[in-house]
Amino acid sequence: MDSPEVELSIPCAAEYVGVARLVVLGVASRMSFCYDEVEDLRQAVGEACTSAIERAQATNQPDARITIRCVMEQDKRLTIEIADSVLGFNSRGRATLAGPDTDEYNISALLMEILVDEIKAESKPEEGTTVTMVKYVGRRTQ
Amino acid sequence: MNLDIRHCRVEPGVALFELRGEADAFTAPKLRQAMMDWLDQGTVHFAVDLSQLAYIDSTNLGVLIGALKRARERGGDLAIVSPSHRVMRIFEITGLGAIFPIYDTQEAALCSFRGNQDGQPGS
Repeated sequence: MDSPEVELSIPCAAEYVGVARLVVLGVASRMSFCYDEVEDLRQAVGEACTSAIERAQATNQPDARITIRCVMEQDKRLTIEIADSVLGFNSRGRATLAGPDTDEYNISALLMEILVDEIKAESKPEEGTTVTMVKYVGRRTQ
Repeated sequence: MNLDIRHCRVEPGVALFELRGEADAFTAPKLRQAMMDWLDQGTVHFAVDLSQLAYIDSTNLGVLIGALKRARERGGDLAIVSPSHRVMRIFEITGLGAIFPIYDTQEAALCSFRGNQDGQPGS
């Protein structure tokens, strides 16, 4: 299998962010990332999950879920999609992830952009938000 | 891994916090409440030891920023003590390393609250 995938679905709740970060640790550790690269990925995924949770809480959507899909590509790069089912947000025309304008949210967006090599986010009001991040083996950011 | 928060009163108006483990969105309310309790009791100076903290997310950074703002409004401050490698990386990336005074030891942070010239910020 050239690009094995691992998928995890969790409730959109703060107590499950640690589960998502543990899975990313397990997946990234199967590749040749150094310690800081793995921790950068875990932090970025944690921030994406937290962002979804904050949007779910702000709009009272307790049944929302988050799906994390990791695709390992020949020990060269790891692509992680964090898709949530939190409805009502639209990122069209925005450079960053749609959400509340708070210190926490802005720091979270900044961290995600810096800690991975590539990132894009798309929010559709009737589907939810998908954040796609890519980390290349051996190309540590900053 | 959970977050263990230890806090004590060092002298009137001064509190020392020690955070161990991982500080994520689940643990942030616990940290926020602990800091609010000390602020409500009149504490204006906080030394927050992060040497045993392996992970901090934006939610907990927001808690520290909020406490820093409230402490400074009252003439106090919030100093970070000896952040771990990972936590220091996050402070550097976000620019928060230039906003919070950071000291190598608890003693240096506590000295800075007394206006002691020996308590210069560390690296």
